[in-house]
Amino acid sequence: MAAASSDTAIRTGRVARAGIYLFLLLFALFYLLPLFVMGANSLKPLGEITGGNMMALPSDWTIAPWLSAWSTAQIGVEPTGLRPYFWNSIKMVVPAVAIATVLGALNGYVLTKWSFRGDKVFYGLMLFSCFIPFQMVLIPMARVLGLAGIAGTTSGLVLVHVVYGIGFATLYFRNYYAAFPTELVRAAQIDGAGFFQIFWRIMLPSSGPIVVVCVIWLFTNIWNDFLFGASFADADSQPMTVALNNLVQSSTGVKEYNVHFAGAILAALPTLLVYVVAGRYFVRGLMAGSVKG
Amino acid sequence: MGFLDIDNATKSYGAVEVLHNVDISVQEGEFLVLVGPSGCGKSTLLNMIAGLEDITSGEISIKGRTMNGVHPSKRNIAMVFQSYALYPNMSVAQNITFGLEMHGTPKAERQAALGKVAKLLQIEPLLDRKPGALSGGQRQRVAMGRALVRDPDVFLFDEPLSNLDAKLRVDMRTEIKKLHQTLGTTIVYVTHDQIEAMTLSTRIAVMNGGYVQQLGTPKEIYDDPANLFVAAFMGSPSMNLLPATVRVADGRVAAEVDAPGGPVSLALTRGADALRARDGRRIVLGIRPEAITDPDGADRGSNALERIEARIDVVEPSGADTFVTLALGGRDCIARLRADADVRAGETVPLTVNMEKATAFDPDTEMRIG
Ligand SMILES: Nc1ncnc2c1ncn2[C@@H]1O[C@H](COP(=O)(O)OP(=O)(O)OP(=O)(O)O)[C@@H](O)[C@H]1O
Ligand SMILES: [Mg+2]
Repeated sequence: MAAASSDTAIRTGRVARAGIYLFLLLFALFYLLPLFVMGANSLKPLGEITGGNMMALPSDWTIAPWLSAWSTAQIGVEPTGLRPYFWNSIKMVVPAVAIATVLGALNGYVLTKWSFRGDKVFYGLMLFSCFIPFQMVLIPMARVLGLAGIAGTTSGLVLVHVVYGIGFATLYFRNYYAAFPTELVRAAQIDGAGFFQIFWRIMLPSSGPIVVVCVIWLFTNIWNDFLFGASFADADSQPMTVALNNLVQSSTGVKEYNVHFAGAILAALPTLLVYVVAGRYFVRGLMAGSVKG
Repeated sequence: MGFLDIDNATKSYGAVEVLHNVDISVQEGEFLVLVGPSGCGKSTLLNMIAGLEDITSGEISIKGRTMNGVHPSKRNIAMVFQSYALYPNMSVAQNITFGLEMHGTPKAERQAALGKVAKLLQIEPLLDRKPGALSGGQRQRVAMGRALVRDPDVFLFDEPLSNLDAKLRVDMRTEIKKLHQTLGTTIVYVTHDQIEAMTLSTRIAVMNGGYVQQLGTPKEIYDDPANLFVAAFMGSPSMNLLPATVRVADGRVAAEVDAPGGPVSLALTRGADALRARDGRRIVLGIRPEAITDPDGADRGSNALERIEARIDVVEPSGADTFVTLALGGRDCIARLRADADVRAGETVPLTVNMEKATAFDPDTEMRIG
């Protein structure tokens, strides 16, 4: 009797599992559809798009739209392609992510291991900064950048993104370090390690998962930002997102949809890459605080 | 003036005082155990010695040098934590030498010191492993290695064995004791396990509610507990505390204890002079289980053996001894008989009480009388 019932349990399990996989597969296809459309159309000559079916695979494969989007397409008034703006984005994202992550880690370290009077209030205010809408700070920020003499520069954008990124970075690291055993810090103190030595030698090397989470979060947000880029950048410091907009909005000549598709994928590639490389750690890191043994 | 002096030390968190005027003087080479129930302030006191917690008032000095305001790393102390606190990202070797590195010891000397400690603790094969790949006992050893390598004036241990299983705990206990005997270092050791306290220490400070209840050698603490708390806390099974009345007749001072078959009178020898003045008053009579035995198992060296008859309620053989529960003084009273004592629950048997080991307490002040 027991054997029979466990047998049915396994069989119904299999049916349910097949159903679940089918369901997941459908959803995966659904979510992949836009990527397919972009990919397929970026590899066709323009004529195939305007005179044919958006969903069809290219009959005449070409990488010309990609080359054009990267290096020759008209961005605003200059025929530079997206390349210079790609580098602008890199020059903005890398320092901003690095600085915000390190500062967030330091904040988390201080807030959990060197608690001081009013640290809860301080932390609350840091969190508050995560929820201030971007639009609200545009004008004050423009004024600050002007006063600091870095309006319209990449450094200015880095500053803006660091200011916004610190809130989230602090949140991540504080929660992670709250579960980090304080006895380790005390042991290191007795061993004679100072404030920064404890941070570099003990805390940071054990922070891998949360560093990954923080970097992915900041990287995607800063890379994808449009508003600050459009508001605070000059022509020679515009990030990729703004340039992509200019590419698509160019009013001269015909709309080269295939080039636009290629440009859009180019703009999304770095964040995609970050997820593929570090995604595993991302999930692990998000869980770290809650299920640590 | 001792090696480590704790002089009138007090600790408050805000308005709450958690340690009250602690005075302990530790001699060089002593093994002092701080023991007490959870929350009594043992760790707080240890952390104050380490410099991890400020001292609210009073003074702590090591080798005559005041430690108030001195950074933990400058006190020449080493500490073993309950969780071991091994740096997870470093190898065993790095864990052990990290403190030396931070103190600027040259690499060659560090390696020499590491080699010596690893040999002493027999952890040489583990040096390249990360703490995550060690068993509990091995971690414990590495944590001790990290403390030993610094060659500190004072070792501080905060419940170092409480994370180990029962068998390993006993082994490590012996090892710590051996280590102390070989190296002759000064140790302050926190535990809530009174057996650890008895076996390891040269002196014990029993703490409760932020007060040091009694400070003395294990024998003093065990035989002459200063008050009811110490009497009940130290010893397993714990001391029988029986309500009794003092009766003085013909120069004989006795404690009268209620029993189902009529009151039992036990002649008091210890503190008899002080008790003589309390004729008719209530006391609490403290008798350890091993002082109540079957007549054949009684201590022949004692001059104050009293015979009583008592009914046995429960028999609990433990292998080495047989513990029995008696109805005496209106509550359960535990006696320790020989392992092969032939007794059954429900029987009334003759027993011998060694009154040389009995202690009387004042029920109001809870202090020992005499
Ligand atoms: N930061 C703090 N603020 C307020 N009270 C505290 C603080 N730290 C400890 N206490 C209190 O001080 C008392 C002593 O704590 P301590 O950690 O020294 O106990 P313990 O004897 O080591 O106990 P255990 O055996 O559980 O480790 C406790 O009552 C505790 O609640
Ligand atoms: Mg404690």
